[in-house]
Amino acid sequence: MKRSKYITLVCLLVLGLTSCKKWLDVNTDPDNPNNQSVPIANKLSWIQNYWKEPAGVTNMRTSCISGVIYAIAASQNTLSTTWQATNANSTTPYQAFFVGVSSNITDLYNSAQKQGAYHYMAAANVFHALGYMEMLDLYGEMPYTEAGTGIPSPKPDDGKTIFNGCMARLNEAISLFGKTQEAGVPSLSAGDILNNGDVNKWLKLCWGLKARYMLKLSKKAEFNADSVLYCLSKGPQSNADNTVEQNFNNSAATDFLEGDPISANGNYDFAGYGSNQRIAEYYYNLLTNIRGAGVGDPRMPKIVPASMANIQLNASTGKVASFTWLRSIGVNSYNATDKNPAPAGFPNRLVKGGATSIATVTVTSTPTSVVYPFTTSTAIADHPNFVASLLAAGKVPKNGSNMNDFADSGNYVRVTYKPGSVYIASTNYIQAGDTVYVNLRSNSLATTTVAQASNDVTWYPNLAAYNAGVVASTGSFQIRPVSDMEILMYHEMCFIKAEVYMRKGDAANAYTAYRAGIQAHLDYMQTKLTQWKGSFDKTSSGIANPDMNPMDQTAINTYLASNAVAQGAGTLTMSDIMLQKYIAMGVTIENWNDMRRFNFSAGNVGSFGVVYPGYQRGPLFTGQAQLTGSSPTDPRYWIRRWALPPTYEIQYNFINTTSLNPHATDPNIWSMPIWWDCATDAEYYGYLKP
Amino acid sequence: MRKLLRFMFLAYSLLLTGYFAQAQDRTITGHVTSADNLPVAGATVTVKGTQRSTTTDANGNFKISAKKGDVLQFTYVGMQAKEATVGNGSSIALELSSGENALGEVVVTALGIRKEQKALGYSVTQLNAQELMKNKNTNIVNSLAGKVPGVNVTQFSGAPGAGASITIRGATSTSETRQNQPLFVVDGIIYDNSTTVTGNTGTDGLSRSNTTYSNRVMDINPEDIETLSVLKGAAAAALYGARAADGVIVITTKKGAEGRVTVNVTSKVSTSWADKLPEAQTVFGPGSISSNGVVNTDSYNSWGPKIPSDSTIYNNIGNFFRHGLIYDNNVNVSGGSKNGSFYLSGSNFKQTGIVPGTGYDKTTFRFNGEQKYGRLTLNATTAYSVATTDRTLTSAGLYGSGVGSMQELYNWPQTYDIRNYINPNGTQHRIYSATITDLANDVDNPFWIINQDKLTSKTNRFTGGINGNFKITDWWDVTGRLGYDQYTTNDNTFIAPGSAVIAKYQNGRLSKDQVNYTYITTTVMTNFHKRISDFDTHLLLGTTSDDFNTNVQNLWGWNFSTPGTVSLNSIDLANKQFSDNTIRRRLVGVYGEVGVSYKDLIYLTATGRNDWSSTLPVANQSYFYPSVSGSFVFTQLLPKNNILSFGKLRGSWARVGKDANAYATNTYENPPVTILAGNGSYVGIGNQWQAGNATLIPEIQTSWEVGGEFRFLNGRIGVDYTYYHSQTANQIGSPRLAQSGGFIFSTLNAGTVINKGMEVALTGKIVSQKNFGWDATLNFSYNRGSLGAFIPGVQYFYPTDVQFGTIKAASIPNGGPFLGIIGQPFLREVDSKGIEISNGRYQIDPKTGFYKLNTNLPVVGNREPRYIGGFNNTFRYKNLSVNFLLDVRIGGDVFNGTEYFMVVNGLSKKTLLNDRQSVTLTGVSSVTGADTSVTYNAGQNYTIGTTTYAGTSMIYQYWQNYASNSSNFITKVNWLKLRSVSLAYDFTSMFKKQGVIKGLSATATGTNLLTWTNYKGMDPEVSVAGGTGGSGSTGIDYLGVPAVASFTFGVNLKF
Repeated sequence: MKRSKYITLVCLLVLGLTSCKKWLDVNTDPDNPNNQSVPIANKLSWIQNYWKEPAGVTNMRTSCISGVIYAIAASQNTLSTTWQATNANSTTPYQAFFVGVSSNITDLYNSAQKQGAYHYMAAANVFHALGYMEMLDLYGEMPYTEAGTGIPSPKPDDGKTIFNGCMARLNEAISLFGKTQEAGVPSLSAGDILNNGDVNKWLKLCWGLKARYMLKLSKKAEFNADSVLYCLSKGPQSNADNTVEQNFNNSAATDFLEGDPISANGNYDFAGYGSNQRIAEYYYNLLTNIRGAGVGDPRMPKIVPASMANIQLNASTGKVASFTWLRSIGVNSYNATDKNPAPAGFPNRLVKGGATSIATVTVTSTPTSVVYPFTTSTAIADHPNFVASLLAAGKVPKNGSNMNDFADSGNYVRVTYKPGSVYIASTNYIQAGDTVYVNLRSNSLATTTVAQASNDVTWYPNLAAYNAGVVASTGSFQIRPVSDMEILMYHEMCFIKAEVYMRKGDAANAYTAYRAGIQAHLDYMQTKLTQWKGSFDKTSSGIANPDMNPMDQTAINTYLASNAVAQGAGTLTMSDIMLQKYIAMGVTIENWNDMRRFNFSAGNVGSFGVVYPGYQRGPLFTGQAQLTGSSPTDPRYWIRRWALPPTYEIQYNFINTTSLNPHATDPNIWSMPIWWDCATDAEYYGYLKP
Repeated sequence: MRKLLRFMFLAYSLLLTGYFAQAQDRTITGHVTSADNLPVAGATVTVKGTQRSTTTDANGNFKISAKKGDVLQFTYVGMQAKEATVGNGSSIALELSSGENALGEVVVTALGIRKEQKALGYSVTQLNAQELMKNKNTNIVNSLAGKVPGVNVTQFSGAPGAGASITIRGATSTSETRQNQPLFVVDGIIYDNSTTVTGNTGTDGLSRSNTTYSNRVMDINPEDIETLSVLKGAAAAALYGARAADGVIVITTKKGAEGRVTVNVTSKVSTSWADKLPEAQTVFGPGSISSNGVVNTDSYNSWGPKIPSDSTIYNNIGNFFRHGLIYDNNVNVSGGSKNGSFYLSGSNFKQTGIVPGTGYDKTTFRFNGEQKYGRLTLNATTAYSVATTDRTLTSAGLYGSGVGSMQELYNWPQTYDIRNYINPNGTQHRIYSATITDLANDVDNPFWIINQDKLTSKTNRFTGGINGNFKITDWWDVTGRLGYDQYTTNDNTFIAPGSAVIAKYQNGRLSKDQVNYTYITTTVMTNFHKRISDFDTHLLLGTTSDDFNTNVQNLWGWNFSTPGTVSLNSIDLANKQFSDNTIRRRLVGVYGEVGVSYKDLIYLTATGRNDWSSTLPVANQSYFYPSVSGSFVFTQLLPKNNILSFGKLRGSWARVGKDANAYATNTYENPPVTILAGNGSYVGIGNQWQAGNATLIPEIQTSWEVGGEFRFLNGRIGVDYTYYHSQTANQIGSPRLAQSGGFIFSTLNAGTVINKGMEVALTGKIVSQKNFGWDATLNFSYNRGSLGAFIPGVQYFYPTDVQFGTIKAASIPNGGPFLGIIGQPFLREVDSKGIEISNGRYQIDPKTGFYKLNTNLPVVGNREPRYIGGFNNTFRYKNLSVNFLLDVRIGGDVFNGTEYFMVVNGLSKKTLLNDRQSVTLTGVSSVTGADTSVTYNAGQNYTIGTTTYAGTSMIYQYWQNYASNSSNFITKVNWLKLRSVSLAYDFTSMFKKQGVIKGLSATATGTNLLTWTNYKGMDPEVSVAGGTGGSGSTGIDYLGVPAVASFTFGVNLKF
């Protein structure tokens, strides 16, 4: 009896516990999959698509440093103009990569490994290398071996560890791509947005990336030109081998972290989304007058945006009846000498108005008068120039009772803008001429204010402009929502080859590669522009966006035959190679990487002379606390890295961060060379000493 | 599980019945009155040592069976318990005297069990209806401010419907997702008190900071509350399990009493106004200055030229606020018979806020009923409430200054009339539309937001419970309880077309959130109570299950097809999105309590509870925690005297486990994104920004407290003292950590929070005469919260990564303050060893020309008050009574973020120094250490490094430099607040001759009428983000809706 009581008791206990366990089994979120249950194909698609966020913001902000883009926004302006670099710039690329991508790479690799999906493991490795190498380029040191795994406060690694780690991942990827996946696992094409599962293209991408990364070591004794050439021989051999992420303007959905359009190009998300970016004069000069040849680059009108000007509206339809395309000029912030025409009658526009003062245009639908006061002593002095510039622009002064285009009372100048005019709605005369700085803006489904069609990506400032068909920016080749995100391009391979041969003293091969690089880039652009013609070049007035149509073949021929391009191995310089590469790379981080390798315009690397002539601290420089070097040959004269994000990394990981690099929070961390930017390990580790 | 337990209880009880025999009884009748000779209805009469009890009827009469020598205990909540021994007679007359913390008072403790205060080994404070109604607030949490030692109440903001947070003996969890507020239990059922913030700035466009969100305890009608018990320590609360680590507030609602039906009507009307507003300078107009002195006057900053004397200046901040109004009406009907009683109430509370367009409207109904069938007593409680909130502008909040915050009001240039917000054609009037061409780059005028946008919230809530109590014998009973709490919150956010939002949303958008909360609980417990000679023993065994289910659905869309039709139906399918989230949490607990007391001298109690929580990894789901407590009434051993009439020492030790939040064991994914690429269509799925953790263990709090209660002069003066210490280890949290980890938040066990403190309460019946009385209560407490060990390598624990100016809320590991502030003060001169001299002169950096900041994130403040206290006085003269409550706080840093903001934007009066013509810096050079003094004059140029700056720019930069020194805005705040003063007159005596009206009284109450403080900002009692968990943002005053003062008049009619 007693025994049976115990047995019953035990039975009840077991029963109770089992049903209890079951009742408590509710800790799996029924609405959201977890990182163990997501198919690897979906993970890969996520990683590939999300990568454009960290890459896009990095491209845009490093292009502010390299002289490609001028930015008004306070924080990016510090990179493009004052060089008083602020930590505010550091945040987005870091968060976008680490939170948006890195943990997914870890999960993809592990899940793929469990299944024997070798190609997915390999693809995870490639994005590992792309991501961490870019973080290394920016920040020099950060968590690497412990990163991306959810470990709290991972320990940071030095630049050398990160670099070697990325190279090892690429080597592993090459071997994994060579393997056949286990039966039953998804084929790579199921999740591969970039190369549609083409393993050969992936292999070329791996070798091409290896070449790009090995080139970073050019300051070091261990730099091996032949190894780079070997990698190049296995990398992309033509534009057909380019790895790009094609982008589309087909969704208004936005991402979870930065709120950017999911379908659009990453460069667009940061450089073309708002009205804050314009072409910088450094880039502009290379596109208009490289090698002092005075020959226009056929790519220039595709890269430098234009707006409509001198617009006459049709009185009955209200549509644009006649206009001219006003091609933007570059904003000068690098050089005391402004090579541009003087808008509104005075040169050095930024010096006149301040580092962030360039105003954005609007379009008026009714006749609008703006009265500019000339009452301060500076303004009185500028008055004659201002009036002269109006006359030079063909404006007709008041004549008796006929108001005409403008009236000058001496202390006040009233300018009347006709309906449809693209103008600056400010009474500050300094800004009146800012229409010559066309911004790099495009519209996408997610950002348009006027609900324009998806095949029209030009920018209209308001509904009136849209209805009239007044285009305020035609956009820029790499910055449109529908532009390719360039992951690895054949033209870059050519320029690397040219540089490496040049370093070997083989000018003939360098010259061949140099010409091939220019040609490849022209071809790539032409192909893309041809694709756009008739499909994405729409505007609301029905006039095709000319900047999305192919380049003029005659202009290409003229350019290639002119002195703008070296016409033989004998006259080819390293600067020629690097500047052509600069034009072709445009809005990518690689220009800043290259500039660091050549110490910008210091001219003290090898016997190559000044590789980036004219790139100088600008007249509005205020970065003396950040860039403490006193002369261009001092490494610490230039922006050589970014501070780690003060909140997202340093704040939460202060002890680990400062124990590896005690200077991580110093204001002049911005000028500390990173590992590959140092000739020796001793130099690098010297910087990390307390 | 539960079946098994029931079986075990049954077995145990059968066993016990064999040992004890029944005694022979006779019927005793009696009459109970209060000091003013009125019958006391509903008093409990118990035969001591048994479970045999009854309650007095409406006339104060009772009947109970007892035998000679039995001791009858008379208890009534809020009154002193008394005992009477049954003699030869069969009737007993007794007078009970009232008073808070009265000697021998009976209080409601864990699981609703009533115990004599002297038997408790831990501190419990109980407030009765009368006390709570003295300064009635529709949010019961606010009524506790200043009344209970060790309890800290922080009102989120002055907005209507705004909640308040309450912490008892300091916060115990560091992480922002973890609650630090006590568990609320209403009539035995866990009552959800969360502050649910739906939507986000990304989807809703306005910052939905929880400063304007209600805490859900606001759904209770305060008039329905009979008693409220604050169980402070873990020992008091241990039986409640997981959530009791932060204390428990046990609320018992009113019941009907036997006798005639009583109707009670109360009406109140109240007006409120902004207590204090920030002041703006009116000398300098809009403008921003660039380094070469060029001024851009199209600016929301006020660093421009002097405002010409003939210009109109607008008091924008003053013009914005208005007087608020409250109408508060209550009616309740109660009554009962010998075997049953009922209580029925209805109320409506209607409030308009000081921010135009804001309001709060709450309607409640309650029915409580009880029926006896022999030895079985059944009672049911049901409550239904509908609360709606109209909100618009919010505080900037812990998550920054999103669109829709008060920020623009404190920013608007004084030369522009902020009331001019709309153009004749219906578009937004924008003062800088010329240069800020892009609407998306502009800011919304606050009047546009309050008039055009609509943010509403509506909560329908039903709570109900059924209790059954079966007395098996007079020493053994079984209680079963089924509880249900359900509410639906509907939040709507409408952003009007033409608002300053990104292009996509400029044609309007609408977001609808629905939160569905359901909670079902079952409890079975059994009590054994037996007296064996001088030993009184009891045993309680119980089991409980809790099932929480929250479903949050969001629907949103943008771009209305037909202007004026604000509906999701008016939106194209492509512009609509929805999301669906379910949170499930279940818990099973088994608990027991065993207690023994010897005479009335020593009381010992031990409890144990084991929980199985669904939120922990399966291997760690079960955890056990015990408590022991004891009390020693040493005056029993002393000769009876009038000096020390009662003395008791008490002590307790307890451990409480706390489980994780739901789903913390896995890393979850974002919703899939469809990518239409060149090769086809792909679906990408990526990780959310929070990492899960499959190896979590429960958080464990270990605490102890010691204390004593002493009554002097026959109880006219009482002292209650407690010292406590608690340590919460294995903190479960998902702190923000370095993003290189791959996530923004990572779930983990890390860190220990330590709280220690002291509570003192003094009570006195200073004057106690027939026509005049003066009762006073003085309470006083402090808490020292600190963070123990934390994640190795992490310097500070930050609850969030958003900064206000240059400061950050943070907890400081290894013994530093839990409510610390990190900042960037100016560096001071250093001694020969390179160490900063405290109060030394500031370092001036020749590279910048300004004071040098310490960028190494030093701790610059502690937001925890040194002491808090309350002084509560009631004077009674005949039918007139006056009550005032003073609230004291000493110490604790407050960051005046509003002033910081106004220094930065040039609206602060501080920036008028020297008419903005010059500034002077004195200190030492940060390079050479030499004495340095620099003056910047407006008319001159200065070269710093290689750049030349205009003097006006240097003066502007001086103030930016001033603003970046966090210490300039931190005040150690003391205050003395006249929290409430109320005047009540009882007209009842005028109605003696008739039978209809039983009572009439009128009250006039003022709240927050006076504050004496050294704080210069709006209101030192601030919390920008309300009930945020962890160390939150208490003590950070940043662009909030000002606190309000109010005056209320009310009448109460009883018939």
